[in-house]
Amino acid sequence: MSLKYDKEGIQLPEVWKAKAPVFISIGLVLLVVGAGLCLMTGQENAAKYLSHSYLANFIFLFSFSIGALFFIMIQFLTRAGWSTSIRRVAEIIMAILPWSAMLFLPILISLFLGNNTLYEWNQAPEAIENTVIRAKVGYLERGFFAARTLLYIGLLSGMALWFFSKSRSQDESGDPELSLARQKWAGPMVMVFALTVSFAAFDWVMSIDGDWYSTIFGVYLFAASMLAFFSLMVIINMTLQKAGKLQEFVTVEHYHDIGKFMFGFVMFWSYIAFSQLLLIWYGNIPEETYWYKVRLENGWQFYSYSLIFVHFAIPLLGLMSRHVRRHRSGLFFWACWLILVHWMDMAFLVMPNVQGGFPVVPMVGHFLGGLGMLFLLAAFFIFRASGTPLVAVRDPRLPEALTYTNPIL
Amino acid sequence: MSDHKPTKTAASRPPRAFGWMAEFSDEHKLLEAARKVRDSGYTDTDAFTPFPVHGIDEALGIKPTVLPFIVLCCGLTGLSLALLMQWWMNGVDYRYIISGKPFGISPAAIPVAFEMTILFSAFSTFLGMIALNNLPKFSNPVFTNPKFDRATNDKFFLYVSASDKYYNRDSVRELLGGTHPDSLDEVIEDSSPANLPRPIWLGTLLLVLAGLIPAMIILNMRAGYSTKPRFHVFFDMDFQPKKKAQQTTTIFEDGRTMRPQVSGTVARGQLDEQDPFYLGYDPAKLVASPTPGSVKYVAAQAQDSKPADGAAAAPAAGTGPNLPWISELPIEATEAHMQLGEVKFRTYCAPCHGYGGQGDGLVHKRAEAVGGGYWLPPTSMHIDRVRSQPVGQIFHTITKGQGKMPSYASSITAKERWAIVLYVKALQKSRNASVEDIPVDKRKLLEEPTNNPK
Amino acid sequence: MATTASVKTQYNPREIDNTNDTPGRRAPLITGNQTYSSITEMVCRVAEDPQPTLWYVLFGLSSVTAVMFLSLIGYLIFTGVGIWGNMNPVFWAWPIVNFVFWVGIGHAGTLISAILFLFRQNWRTSINRAAEAMTIFAVICAAIYPGIHVGRAWLAFWLLPYPSLNLWMWPQFRSPLLWDVFAVGTYASTSLVFWYMGMIPDLATYRDRSKSPLRRAIYSFLCLGWTGSSRHWLRYEKAYTLLAALATPLVLSVHTVVSFDFAVSQVAGWHTTIFPPYFVAGAIFSGFAMVVTLLVPVRAIYKLENLITLRHLDNMNKIILATGSLVGLAYGTEFFIAWYSKNQYEGFTFLNRAFGPYWWAYWTMVSCNVISPQLFWFKKLRTSPFWMVVISIFVNIGMWFERFVITVTSLSRDFLPSSWGYFRPTMFDGLMFFGSFGVFLSLFLLFCRYLPTIAMSEVKGVMSSSAHSEHMQAALVGGHDPSHGHGSSHDHH
Repeated sequence: MSLKYDKEGIQLPEVWKAKAPVFISIGLVLLVVGAGLCLMTGQENAAKYLSHSYLANFIFLFSFSIGALFFIMIQFLTRAGWSTSIRRVAEIIMAILPWSAMLFLPILISLFLGNNTLYEWNQAPEAIENTVIRAKVGYLERGFFAARTLLYIGLLSGMALWFFSKSRSQDESGDPELSLARQKWAGPMVMVFALTVSFAAFDWVMSIDGDWYSTIFGVYLFAASMLAFFSLMVIINMTLQKAGKLQEFVTVEHYHDIGKFMFGFVMFWSYIAFSQLLLIWYGNIPEETYWYKVRLENGWQFYSYSLIFVHFAIPLLGLMSRHVRRHRSGLFFWACWLILVHWMDMAFLVMPNVQGGFPVVPMVGHFLGGLGMLFLLAAFFIFRASGTPLVAVRDPRLPEALTYTNPIL
Repeated sequence: MSDHKPTKTAASRPPRAFGWMAEFSDEHKLLEAARKVRDSGYTDTDAFTPFPVHGIDEALGIKPTVLPFIVLCCGLTGLSLALLMQWWMNGVDYRYIISGKPFGISPAAIPVAFEMTILFSAFSTFLGMIALNNLPKFSNPVFTNPKFDRATNDKFFLYVSASDKYYNRDSVRELLGGTHPDSLDEVIEDSSPANLPRPIWLGTLLLVLAGLIPAMIILNMRAGYSTKPRFHVFFDMDFQPKKKAQQTTTIFEDGRTMRPQVSGTVARGQLDEQDPFYLGYDPAKLVASPTPGSVKYVAAQAQDSKPADGAAAAPAAGTGPNLPWISELPIEATEAHMQLGEVKFRTYCAPCHGYGGQGDGLVHKRAEAVGGGYWLPPTSMHIDRVRSQPVGQIFHTITKGQGKMPSYASSITAKERWAIVLYVKALQKSRNASVEDIPVDKRKLLEEPTNNPK
Repeated sequence: MATTASVKTQYNPREIDNTNDTPGRRAPLITGNQTYSSITEMVCRVAEDPQPTLWYVLFGLSSVTAVMFLSLIGYLIFTGVGIWGNMNPVFWAWPIVNFVFWVGIGHAGTLISAILFLFRQNWRTSINRAAEAMTIFAVICAAIYPGIHVGRAWLAFWLLPYPSLNLWMWPQFRSPLLWDVFAVGTYASTSLVFWYMGMIPDLATYRDRSKSPLRRAIYSFLCLGWTGSSRHWLRYEKAYTLLAALATPLVLSVHTVVSFDFAVSQVAGWHTTIFPPYFVAGAIFSGFAMVVTLLVPVRAIYKLENLITLRHLDNMNKIILATGSLVGLAYGTEFFIAWYSKNQYEGFTFLNRAFGPYWWAYWTMVSCNVISPQLFWFKKLRTSPFWMVVISIFVNIGMWFERFVITVTSLSRDFLPSSWGYFRPTMFDGLMFFGSFGVFLSLFLLFCRYLPTIAMSEVKGVMSSSAHSEHMQAALVGGHDPSHGHGSSHDHH
């Protein structure tokens, strides 16, 4: 029993490989230019804009791999067959997780250099004016914070690399036991993943606002990450197919299914975002509502309210039809759209925390930084994908992925 | 068209044929046969299967359904209705403040809007499917052949209708016969009686009639009226074991349900009783230099909750004790206070004393008209005795009442009472003013002819 | 092949382990070499054969309990809610706990029929019908409690926005309790429609097999004259898919709205943003536990082991494990944030839950909800009908206690220490909770007796399409044609 396929069709295009260093350079230049714009505001908040912008863009980059890791785990947990032919691309996105995570190092280093523009709690307790934050210094303390950060990154990277290596060795041996092993460990690992992501979200993002708290915050970031990941899958697979690759492996059925996931996660994100908003708005407790207050005044209100439309209503209607989800350029458009609004969403979570009006120049810089992160992502992807088949060709469930159809929806 | 012409001769006519039905034992044979029939150009065809066979739509050339559009429209209708409903009901027609939340549309309107969207969509999905499928349809010629019972079990049927424009009885039989069906039958009219069986018919009628009874009873109750006493379902809710004010009880020794103040306690507002603003006189002066009768009067006022001889202690009408009255209004004589006083005077005082304060209010006129002789007319504000009273005394009269006039302390606040006093003083002055009382620049208005009926 | 007409019904009294899946070759979803007609036989027999004695015993017990429940409702209405233990400050006590408990149970059915359908989890077909029925009966039980808790139950219709000439006013749409009316109302009616629509083809099967004219007339009426026409099937499938797509957000919204009842307030321990997803996870958790509790006896009594196989049970137990762990994660997150926030009220509330006067309820909840499902990590327990029933009963006890802990501990220790109190249920609280199980079980037993317990048409459809997809895969890899028949159906994800 063997599958006939074009061996070249599952290799990264040669021309791409040369582009990776270029992408790295462009990415770094964009990050530097973006940082310069953040600093160029001439306001006292310049350093704050820079550090917040970097964090938001880091989370933006990191979220793709988070989404990929969860996707891979769930595929094994549910013994899925449909996704086998697109799984390797997802695995590559997952496997760049350790590299993306390295970009958190500048934040950690700046913490130890005494920078408190991002994390207000990174000061001597006596110097913290806010008594609530002062009460938290036992937990929000840079040494402990760094240890936790390394733990999160270690756990996530370890799981990502474990899945990746099992998948790669199956390319060699075709051993079904490798699938069974991943199936077996996916369950416990999903639990570790859920805990890790939830706490990473609290530590990295929520604690920039030391006295605000929301128990749903981790779920919010998770929902956003999944949406970003599925959109990226569409873009990468379509680009690869345009370059003549993966022709017989990725069918319209796969796009259709990813499109359904995009639609579903647009709804899920909105559900989580609305739940958080409604509960805080209705409870009307000052300690909680001010988080929304800073996002709904001084120019930020236009930005925040626009998310309701660009992150919920418009893509919801856009992706509702089966015909759009099965239409290549239609789905490609919505994937680009959703990545853009995901970036906006990450900026919404972090940037207003600087306080003050809507910072036009820093936001332009922030946008360039986000673009730079996408270039880094592309470079990471190319590095990871070089020399790796783009399809798990010897996965025993591959035939299932190539023959299934979407019956109705 | 069919070569089988139905004749109109009733009893002996052969049953009408609707088309041919081929039976297959599995879905693959069915699909194969369906493609063959489609390729032969027949469009008025159908397949009957125990489960949805995939690919049959393409094999039979069935077009996609419009159902999703119907559902989308109904869903949007539900959404708009929900938003409109909440906006109108809570934002326009019946506004009330709930924990400071905005009227009309706010995040709190989203859950109901969402549920209504789903409700409308779900029902339109189901009802739309039923309607598009022309269901319910209990009588169907395909049921005539008992073989067809297995269409819902394990057999697959292909049907070519006689109404197809290319239909020819023999060629269709030949075509279907060529697909090797398990059996091939002509679908013929159901010859069993078409009427609903009598028991079912009667049973339904009875049920409908029985269902009407409660509706008729309710309608009857709503339309007519009854002189019988109300039927008390919840007796202990309608007649609760409790005492109302002024009733007697055996629980307490004094037999009263209303309890006097416990000694040593201070009731809400009681401390105001030492404030001239609430009394109309200065209690400190009273203690310092009591006048005859005043001490006894004040003591009686303080204990008036006792059943003792309160009436004896009360002064006779028109002869109040000589208390150290306040002579200066404790509120400012502003336009706003004057208007407040006018409003309150017209509300509480005018019914008896009349709008002008002459003691000719509507109550008085009515009492004169019906009762006559025993009616003591309300005091006019413009007699000398009242005009000479200090403001504190007028205030005291409103507060405590006098003669038949009850106390208004519970209905009118102290400030409003002072405003009434201010207004009364103005009324009094208006009836006894001289030209000198009018400001110089307003005097020439007197010379001008006026249209003002006042 | 599925050509044999009426075969002698086959079922294997011994459990066949079909839970293992060699990658690349799906294990059979239903066992015992089934054909289309044998599936029909097996399912229809449940309603056509005389019921086992056990059915009469169970129905007798549960209907007596139901009658007791209804009489107690009568007593409650004529006497007042004072017969319950509700007190100051725990005004919301057992009635809302029972309401949330039953609504939660009522989530599994729609989850199985809608969400698993969208995820193409074909194993749902053997269990979705019974789970949907269970959903509807659970929602009926749930709706009773707020209805009788309003005090004047006969005026409960005031909750609806109807133009009233007596009241001249409208309901208060900013109240989460009114959202509940809409959410539970929509959920109940949509689930009913979904359930009924799913049954139409199977009711037609019942009709076509009926021997007595009365039976035939009733099923004819119920199935609306269904013929199995392909044109009808096409619209039917579209409608079914649309309903699934609509019911998916709906099922999430219902328990979300129920969680809003608590979370929009400012009460410590209630006002926390994770409540919506946490309640939904808990609902699915308890719902699946109830499905397992019911289906294990049903498959044994009606000998449906070949249709509701170990694999189905194994999958459900995995979902119980997953949602149980999610619920545990939510407990942990709440506890952590209560500490992390340095909000003294939150901190106190959570310490009070774990170590205050209701510590016994809290630790019952934790051990039943978080610890007991962890036993499902062991495949032995996941595939043992006895142990899975034991564990799922524990889960349901735990989920009841979860609602009790949330409702009672937070209320009994609110912001005003002078009004603190200790809630004690009365005999009527207990009897009226117990009684609701009578209603639930009576309805479920009637359902088994008169309506198709398993979605025959869906099982057959999955059988056909899995065989088809296996065929396609075999053709693709160019290997030998696997000797597949309709007898060995395989699920594909």
